Amino acid sequence: MSELILEAVDLEYCYPDGTSALRKVNLEVRKGEKLAILGSNGAGKSTLFMHFNGIYTPSAGAIKFQGQPISYKKKALIELRKKVGIVFQDPDSQLFSASVFQDISFGPLNLGLSEEEVMERVRKAMLDTETTDLEEKPTHLLSYGQKKRVSIAGVLAMEPEIIIFDEPTAGMDPRHSLEFMQLLDKLSSEGKTIVLSTHDVDLAYSWSDRLAIMYRGEILAHGYPGDLLTRPEIVKRADLTIPWLIETHSELVKKGWLPPSTPLPKTKEDLFRNIPFKKEQQSA
Amino acid sequence: MIAIDSYAYNNKLTTIHPLEKSLFAILTMSICLMSKTMITPLLVLALMSGGIILKAGIPGRILTKLLAIPLSFLLISVLTIAFSFAADPSGFWFAHTFNSITIGIRYPDLITAINLFLRSLGAVSCLYFLALTTPLTELITLLHKMKVPVIITELMVLIYRFIFVFLDTATTIRRAQLCRSGYVSTKSSFRSMSRLFSALLGKVFVKSQDLYNAMAARCYTGEIKVLTKKHPVNVKNYFLIAGVEISLVLLNLLWR
Ligand SMILES: Nc1ncnc2c1ncn2[C@@H]1O[C@H](COP(=O)(O)OP(=O)(O)OP(=O)(O)O)[C@@H](O)[C@H]1O
Ligand SMILES: [Mg+2]
Repeated sequence: MSELILEAVDLEYCYPDGTSALRKVNLEVRKGEKLAILGSNGAGKSTLFMHFNGIYTPSAGAIKFQGQPISYKKKALIELRKKVGIVFQDPDSQLFSASVFQDISFGPLNLGLSEEEVMERVRKAMLDTETTDLEEKPTHLLSYGQKKRVSIAGVLAMEPEIIIFDEPTAGMDPRHSLEFMQLLDKLSSEGKTIVLSTHDVDLAYSWSDRLAIMYRGEILAHGYPGDLLTRPEIVKRADLTIPWLIETHSELVKKGWLPPSTPLPKTKEDLFRNIPFKKEQQSA
Repeated sequence: MIAIDSYAYNNKLTTIHPLEKSLFAILTMSICLMSKTMITPLLVLALMSGGIILKAGIPGRILTKLLAIPLSFLLISVLTIAFSFAADPSGFWFAHTFNSITIGIRYPDLITAINLFLRSLGAVSCLYFLALTTPLTELITLLHKMKVPVIITELMVLIYRFIFVFLDTATTIRRAQLCRSGYVSTKSSFRSMSRLFSALLGKVFVKSQDLYNAMAARCYTGEIKVLTKKHPVNVKNYFLIAGVEISLVLLNLLWR
């Protein structure tokens, strides 16, 4: 197992109005992994993410980066934020400039890079998120999904080690969300650590290496997607559903189409490959 | 307002350097305002309309509508200059006498009024040229390069962005209220309106905090540093601007 890079230890957080949004949250993020956080509305996913680069200061407990509790001093926070990037849930609160290009260049410029290098990074981030042709448009004339992609580009251009996405595919059309997931795979193969939150059990199941399920400010369970999402009691308690892949697979096993020893399919293609041809068809 | 903004991003002159467009508009406007003849403002109006419609490709209909906005205001102010009251009916070019008071127009006043009217209209057309062809984001960058204090340019960036965020929010809330019969009577209109404002106020606080958080997450340290796309500088345009402006100045000086 690879080394721990980011960790929440007994994290608690109370909003000023008294809402207790996180209760004794323990979560480990390992270097290079793809971690998905599943949870229904109001489970506390966004609140948890705000702790990972020191935007919120926990009421109790701590966040550890590379084994050290993070410091909330200004300089230290800036260093941390260079390594841990967050794409916020609401693109409207992330985009501060009406110009797409200006907004994307903001982060990398803050890293103290040269103008040429920033230019290069902005170009690359725009290519990766397919926002190059939106460059001439002001952000207020973009659609929700387009704004989302621009806000993702703004963080990608900073090239952080750990990238945290708060519901990245919400509001994206199927093609762009598929391409975005492919981009995540590419980033992951480049060695980046990726954490994302979602309500989409199918996506979380297929994409992630590891999974954490949150419910009302607590982590109900964390482990391998195949282990967690096959347990109806956890899934029900967290107001989620079982991924269709697993449901179909178990139905096929139950009705005898597949031997019980068949491994759980991770993708649609796996499942289809597992399903055998009918006898007559094969001989014909 | 919104139409001007949309055209600014989507016209055939967007690729021209914003400094060239600003210079053209502002120099022409100054010359137009200083002119004593009627020919210069008329020429400026024609020049700018031509630029807006032919060069930038903005529909003439839009320009007419925009020019009509200051028109009523202009007409009123011009009429008060043109007309005068007097006890003595002599010296009027066109007059009508009621009892002992004469209302009328004196010839020099008429000239002043027409001159003022044309000059204002010419100047407005220059500003429209700038507003319709140059996105505000580029103007702000230009101001920044001209060493306008950072606090002003940064505020402009944020305010400009947030006008649209809140406009969007307000439109959405109003639409939702309309769908649920929020404005059927005067009473419910007032109530819905007040709810809209209080909701908007709440949003302002939350959104500004969110924005700050999001900027902090991208290593914001108190100064908004951004890159702007470079526009090619076109020397030919500078000669063109110089040519036009010099001719206008000469026209001002020589045409008496
Ligand atoms: N600024 C705030 N002030 C007070 N309470 C808040 C605030 N933001 C969130 N909460 C509360 O904290 C809890 C967790 O919210 P959070 O936004 O973290 O949920 P989430 O898992 O991201 O949900 P979603 O899937 O809807 O985005 C919720 O009960 C919410 O009402
Ligand atoms: Mg959330």
